Amino acid sequence: MRLKIIRRKETKLVNKILLYVIGIAISFVVGGIFLTSLDINPFAYYRDMLTIGLIGNYYPGKSVEGLLKLFVPLLITSLALSLAFKMRFWNIGGEGEFITGALFAAIVAFKLGDTLPGFVVIVLMCLAAFVSAGMIGLVTAHLKVKFNTNETLVTLMINYIMLYVIKYFGETKADWNFFLRTDSERPVFAKFPENAIMDGIKFGNFKLLYTVPAAIVIAVIVYFYLKRTKQGYEISVVGDSVNTAKYAGMNVYRITLRTIFLSAAFIGLAGAFTAAASGTISTDITNNVGWTGVIVAWLSRLSVPVIGVVSLLISVLQYGCQAASASYSQIDHNFADLMQGLFMFSILAAGFFSNFKIVRTGDKKDA
Amino acid sequence: MLEVLTLFLFNIVIYSIPLLYATCGEIMVEKSGSLNLGVEGTMAVGAIFGFLAGCKADSLPVAVLVSFITAALVGAIFCIFTITLQANQNVTGLTITTIGVAVYFFVGNGLGANWPVYRECTRLVSGFADIEIPGLSAIPVIGKAFFSHNILVYFAVIVAVLIWLYFEKTSIGLRLRAIGENPGAADSLGVDLVKYKYLHIMAGSGIMGIGGLYMGLNMGGTFEGSNCWINGYGWIAIALVIFANWSTTHAIVGTFVFGFFNTLRVYNMPIATTFPNTFGWLSKVPAQVFSALPFAVTLLVLIVNSVRSRKTNKSNAPTAIGVNYYREDR
Amino acid sequence: MAASEYAIELKGISKSFGPVVANKNINLNLKKGEILALLGENGSGKTTLMNMLSGIYTPDSGSIFIDGKKVVISSPDDAGKLGIGMVHQHFKLVERFTAADNIWIGKKGSGFLLKKDRNKEIEEIASKFGFEIDPTKIVANMSVSEKQTLEIIKVLCYGAKVIILDEPTAVLTVQETKKLFDVCRKMKESGHSIIIITHKLNEVMEISDRVAVLRKGEYIDTVESATTTKMKLTELMVGRKMNLNIERSVIEKTEPLLEVRDLCVESDEGALAVDNMNFYIRGGEILGVAGIAGSGQKELCEAIAGLRKIKSGKIIHKGRNLVGMNAKKIAAQGIAMSFIPEDRLGMGLAPSLSVADNVILKDYTNDKGLFVDRKRARDEAKKIVDMLQIATPSVDTPVRRLSGGNVQKVLLGREIKSDPNVLITAYPVRGLDIHSSYMIYDILNEQKTKGVGVLFIGEDIDVMMALCDKIMVMCHGKLQGVVHASKVKKEELGLMMTGALDLTNVKVDKPAGIASDSAFTAEEWEEAADMSEGAES
Repeated sequence: MRLKIIRRKETKLVNKILLYVIGIAISFVVGGIFLTSLDINPFAYYRDMLTIGLIGNYYPGKSVEGLLKLFVPLLITSLALSLAFKMRFWNIGGEGEFITGALFAAIVAFKLGDTLPGFVVIVLMCLAAFVSAGMIGLVTAHLKVKFNTNETLVTLMINYIMLYVIKYFGETKADWNFFLRTDSERPVFAKFPENAIMDGIKFGNFKLLYTVPAAIVIAVIVYFYLKRTKQGYEISVVGDSVNTAKYAGMNVYRITLRTIFLSAAFIGLAGAFTAAASGTISTDITNNVGWTGVIVAWLSRLSVPVIGVVSLLISVLQYGCQAASASYSQIDHNFADLMQGLFMFSILAAGFFSNFKIVRTGDKKDA
Repeated sequence: MLEVLTLFLFNIVIYSIPLLYATCGEIMVEKSGSLNLGVEGTMAVGAIFGFLAGCKADSLPVAVLVSFITAALVGAIFCIFTITLQANQNVTGLTITTIGVAVYFFVGNGLGANWPVYRECTRLVSGFADIEIPGLSAIPVIGKAFFSHNILVYFAVIVAVLIWLYFEKTSIGLRLRAIGENPGAADSLGVDLVKYKYLHIMAGSGIMGIGGLYMGLNMGGTFEGSNCWINGYGWIAIALVIFANWSTTHAIVGTFVFGFFNTLRVYNMPIATTFPNTFGWLSKVPAQVFSALPFAVTLLVLIVNSVRSRKTNKSNAPTAIGVNYYREDR
Repeated sequence: MAASEYAIELKGISKSFGPVVANKNINLNLKKGEILALLGENGSGKTTLMNMLSGIYTPDSGSIFIDGKKVVISSPDDAGKLGIGMVHQHFKLVERFTAADNIWIGKKGSGFLLKKDRNKEIEEIASKFGFEIDPTKIVANMSVSEKQTLEIIKVLCYGAKVIILDEPTAVLTVQETKKLFDVCRKMKESGHSIIIITHKLNEVMEISDRVAVLRKGEYIDTVESATTTKMKLTELMVGRKMNLNIERSVIEKTEPLLEVRDLCVESDEGALAVDNMNFYIRGGEILGVAGIAGSGQKELCEAIAGLRKIKSGKIIHKGRNLVGMNAKKIAAQGIAMSFIPEDRLGMGLAPSLSVADNVILKDYTNDKGLFVDRKRARDEAKKIVDMLQIATPSVDTPVRRLSGGNVQKVLLGREIKSDPNVLITAYPVRGLDIHSSYMIYDILNEQKTKGVGVLFIGEDIDVMMALCDKIMVMCHGKLQGVVHASKVKKEELGLMMTGALDLTNVKVDKPAGIASDSAFTAEEWEEAADMSEGAES
């Protein structure tokens, strides 16, 4: 007997959903086995995780704030990456672009934060981040279109180069280094001037940062951009067939540069948002959002509404694991990555089984 | 003065060996036509389980074997998803890195105080101790720098050469390269694609795992909650495959170059003080520059290669790399 | 039990791909030591059926007997062991390897180590079968015919008793085809059984002992080649008596619409793909372009459409030089180009996008504002779907889901929609069944009667001789001459395609490809040349 993979003719929507539900359930079970191996009651852990520490919390608002601080950069990054992926351009440079944005936002904050009014400073920070990160996109896109340089590897290298750039600023004590606190012996990133820190709307104890509505507006814009505009149409044509795009008289070079600029620039913007929201930068400011964003965009099959839902769920997972690790000493926030990987695998598998089926073929083979 | 040079060269070897394992492993994977971005995660898994098993059994061979097997199992996951389930290779690789590093921290944190003390595993420690090759190690400067290392260093070079021989001089290697070039052709000739890819990707991943183990042992086997042993080396390996132009023997040279940068980061001061006139400026270069150099150089190589290969196609990149093969596609 | 008379028997074989039924209940047999032609239109399921014999696909149902014994072939490996070798239409060769290594990949018992003298060994095996090859030659440097020879040697080396050739002549010249047929006869003499897949009737009559006919995935009949006629075979293949003649309407021709002079264009590799071409198209005529695949047709099309840089020369359209204009501007002049590449979808269509989105590909920029007008897109798509009877669930269906004929109709429909005055169409019937092909010919004829100048790049010489007014022949990028389709002989065209016959300088007073009533005088041509050089610098 042999097994053989056959493409399915059609799959009912109900069955598809069922497959995905089963996949996610399996992830939870596997995660549960991991937890049990550490003598942690998985049900208790999952409850703590999924309620992100809201229950029995004196300041539930703080939990939601923390959750949103994870959600905003992840949402924007995933959306930005989906722009590039839609064009089959493997921008996995989210980390580097994010850091670039945060760094340039910090430069503006430190240099102009004291002299200009708050609103202007924040806008300038965002602009600086947008353009600086976008430049990385421009260069990568140029190399890809002109010389067919592998963009996956180029962006990968830039991630690490930028990581060491921010480390350099964060670890070098010197007179010129305005990034650091002057009152500390050890190198520590300084706090932004008050004007350069993102404000929000207060609801009692809970403060809704302006970055949250801004992120949602960006999501809506990206949605319409991809679905309705000529530029969005061009992205899908180039992504589908470069030859066809050229044939239709599209300027593939310009379209690629524009799209990848936007993709990188929005990730830079996410970096600026994060820096402004926390009022400082750090060497691990990305919180791996560049990697997670790839997974979110792919899990969501590049659909904007789904990206919104998935990035919220992943944020719950991450914040929940952080919150839960407070009560379980054996485990840290990295458990969120483990769960994330399990989800990714189960979704990939579910995707496969909704397109293919495995059947037995043939009798016993003649010897 | 010569001692500084010797020490410098010695350390280059130390730093380049894990990269050599990882690069050879990834070359093996890529020759079969798959691009596995999960090197970092694969190494992390091989490293931690190999180390723990090695301590438990107090034996280096056990450590190596277990790191190979566990990392090969991670490779099997990559195979299941990309070959059997036809999933995207980039995404699968990234997920493997995420999950592999997460498993590393999960196990490390989970053990907590039960983490074994490397120093106390005497036979493991002595297994990893430096071995002087009689005769060769007596050569001035070079002898101490190149022929007085632990056994895993020599093993790495042997592995690199063996893999090269395997690709170039055996029928299996020929078939494997054919798969990476044109899976449809290999398939039509009765080469069992699935078996070949599974076995070689698993073997390649296993070799990466040994590289991970080496890093753990080299760092004295202490678990830190903040930093993974592998610390980005998996990504450098992916870069090195390009640098070495998909040849494991070139990889020996390539890793040495990369190890050179890494060593400069740590030993720039001794060099600068010993040769103040020629290398005095080294002391002023920040450590982060040396850390970033391997990535910057690879970036440069990538760009230069692609600009050049537009005219003359000299790259040895497998033609069908990164593309899943489904026989009945039409 | 006596050995079976048949080398292969297929009983009740069926295979489908998703909703597409490729083979339905097929019964077929191959006698030992015969050459069997497998005849059928494109898309009739010939290749699918043979792929099941060679283990690429496995049948959904039915059984295969070899030498009277029931077997299961679930991989190419199984097929090889059973002595079945297939030469695929698209060669299965590793371009970077040498000839010898390509054979070595699949050699059984080749040992663990690669033998140093494997080159010699391969050379010897090849010469045993009567072939001479250079075992160290890299496949990438081989000609098409050399590659095919290598493929045949390959299957012989593996000890194949049954050899399947999938459309072997599609890429060959007339002379190379003759040589191939000699090889086939020799293999037959040495006891091999051969199946040749083809849809060319002449070849069937020439080479085969028997002919098996498939139609729309079903087995129709097997007949003796000696006792049948082309007419009879066509009937079997198409299902009813079919008028093979294509209506060639004669209408008033206009003055030259598009004139090409001294055109040189480079290929992607930097070789001269179009070498000093001269030709012109008048309104109301169909000019055919004949030539072996890869003679520069693609580059010529792309150059005219503005998709490829022109090295030197002029393209004058209604008195304006097109050289230096971009694709969009050229399209705006009323020059439409549709090119069907081998994979059908690669150029001109975005396979994952809907029919509607594909219809607006060339004029979406005319929509007002930032947004794409999807309502207009749907309306126009519906019009095209109705006009050309395109079978699609809706205009929102991705083009990828349509069948080949319908895909091509979408492409042609969009080009015609733009009301062109010059229509360039390359391989428009590639892979289509006869009905769809004739529908396309009708569309082209209709355009011609409207006064459009049509440049038709085709594969089938018979069709071109019936459809086109004039035929120009290209060989290695060079013009071999322009002839009247109604006067030329097929053999002449064949010789021209191989470069053996050059008709460019037959008439002393009129060089081939230059119109006597050109839009320009000789001096003006020179001037135009200067102008464009000035514009370039």
